[in-house]
Amino acid sequence: MTMNRSLLASALALLLGVGVVSVVSSGTVLSLFTQAIVYAVFALGIGVLLKQNGMVSFGHALYFGSAGYLLGILLQLQVASAETIIVWTLLIITVVGFVFGLIIVRVPGVAFGMLTLAIGQMFYLTASRARGFTGGADGMNIDWPSTLFGFPVSQILKPGAMFLICWTTLVVVMFLVAWLLRSRFGAITEAVRDNEERARFIGISTLLPRALVYALSALITSISGVLSALNTGFVSPENLHWSLSGMTLMMVVVGGFKVLWGPALGAVVYFIFKDILGDYASHWMTIFGVVLIAVIVFSPTGIAGALMSWISGKPAADQPTARGH
Amino acid sequence: MLTINLFNGLVYGALLIVMCSGLALIYGLRRVVNFAHGSLYMMGAYLGYTIALNSNFWVALVAAPAVMALFGVLLDRYGFRLLQDRDPLTVVLVTFGLLLVIEDMVQTIWGKSNLSVAAPQALAFSVDLAGTPVPAYRIGVIVVGLCVAVGLTMWLRFSKVGLFVRAASTDPVTTSMQGVNTDLLSAGVVGLGTALAGLAGVVAAPFLSLSPSMSADVIIDSFVVVVIGGLGSLAGAFIAAMLLGMVQAVGAVYLPDTAVLLPFVFMVAVLIWKPAGFAGSRT
Repeated sequence: MTMNRSLLASALALLLGVGVVSVVSSGTVLSLFTQAIVYAVFALGIGVLLKQNGMVSFGHALYFGSAGYLLGILLQLQVASAETIIVWTLLIITVVGFVFGLIIVRVPGVAFGMLTLAIGQMFYLTASRARGFTGGADGMNIDWPSTLFGFPVSQILKPGAMFLICWTTLVVVMFLVAWLLRSRFGAITEAVRDNEERARFIGISTLLPRALVYALSALITSISGVLSALNTGFVSPENLHWSLSGMTLMMVVVGGFKVLWGPALGAVVYFIFKDILGDYASHWMTIFGVVLIAVIVFSPTGIAGALMSWISGKPAADQPTARGH
Repeated sequence: MLTINLFNGLVYGALLIVMCSGLALIYGLRRVVNFAHGSLYMMGAYLGYTIALNSNFWVALVAAPAVMALFGVLLDRYGFRLLQDRDPLTVVLVTFGLLLVIEDMVQTIWGKSNLSVAAPQALAFSVDLAGTPVPAYRIGVIVVGLCVAVGLTMWLRFSKVGLFVRAASTDPVTTSMQGVNTDLLSAGVVGLGTALAGLAGVVAAPFLSLSPSMSADVIIDSFVVVVIGGLGSLAGAFIAAMLLGMVQAVGAVYLPDTAVLLPFVFMVAVLIWKPAGFAGSRT
């Protein structure tokens, strides 16, 4: 897509958000959508890493939960205004993600996934055992001030406003990522992903671009963590648990990671599906496990890939699948 | 205090050896990192619980791994073999889906509450170890770990099938051209690996309680072990398993608050030093 077309698509998407709020009056439905959109941003974070680095993270809840905790702790300490704290939280998580990235993207292939899982679990254990700041296994409430960016928080927390904030964030983040990936940075990271050795031959440093993509994906995921903290006003060790990373990764795979909107679509499908299932939800693990296996085996490019090939009239099998190094 | 902790470290290391040798074998032949391995361990433990309840522990020790072996052979025949030309990531995600299914199945059949298995009568006594009494059953666990380590090493090094396994782990195509039935071999090895996960489950049952979270705890430690040891390397996994057991044991004495983090710190340290693990990854 060219720049103008993605600008147009983003503007249309923003209008669609306004449309949804004016048409849907039920608070429960809007809350469901809001939750889906928060996870869509989360899934986008994992998706960017997978699309641009070809690396699967099984521990991205680390950045989702840490953003919530960091925000909650800084707000509790009242070190600065809430707006500044939000910016600081995102910055700190991005820098930490970059440093982690420098270490762990050097680990080849599947071992990378196992490493992310282990690091994520390390933070989960820390948060659930530390009593002082994090409230241990009970989690902690986030003390939002009465106004945020000039708006009263009580207004922001209304289902319609909350949905619009999350939706707008998703659209803006997706637009910015699309713009970034079309630049030279996008080309370099793709070259490194497809053939690291050859990229090195033509003089590209291969560690830095991959660590930067990892940091970018950490930043996107931490944005979803902040949105979740705003939406629920609460953060608990569950936000760091590997099963959350796993479920979100599932949304990414089911939605399809070849295009940026695939993971977001996967998240929305997941939440709608889960809501429809309702009564059977106690067996959701079996249901989603089977769906995951079926999608991977029969449509490796996910729903987005199937849609794209249906529109363009080419069979999905022509498209290359994910590669591990 | 230190003696008993070191001893418990040995016990846990031995358990990890049984777990990780299964993971490493399956990875070696199928290039599959089995995320469901912890769930297979849990399945083995719960199967062992039911069998032990209806007969006795010794029957469970044999029967549960046997059932798991059958499950492993089917998993290879109708899972891994059909997916062998797919990219490794795909198969990893399939095993992740399998993990979700098994976890739910175990919770549905056996419930969410903690269950326990009594240690067998013959081993229900204590042995004096440097002035500290230790349960004989735990010594038995160390013996099982040692037997698995020595047995597998011997089998791979000196038997004809072991030679085939080593050959197929290095180059499956050439090996099958030499007339080795690699499909049959893989089914056998995945069966063996799954049986080892089941064995680890049964062995762990009398000293770790059975709960739906038992798979997550052990799979994370197992991953730490196989990543540190070098994916697919048995010797690397044996060394890393024992080291991890020791690190946790010593940590529990000197750094009680942060002991749970030590395996990960240890892993990050090793990977900074050697990104492919002790033995070098064979990806």
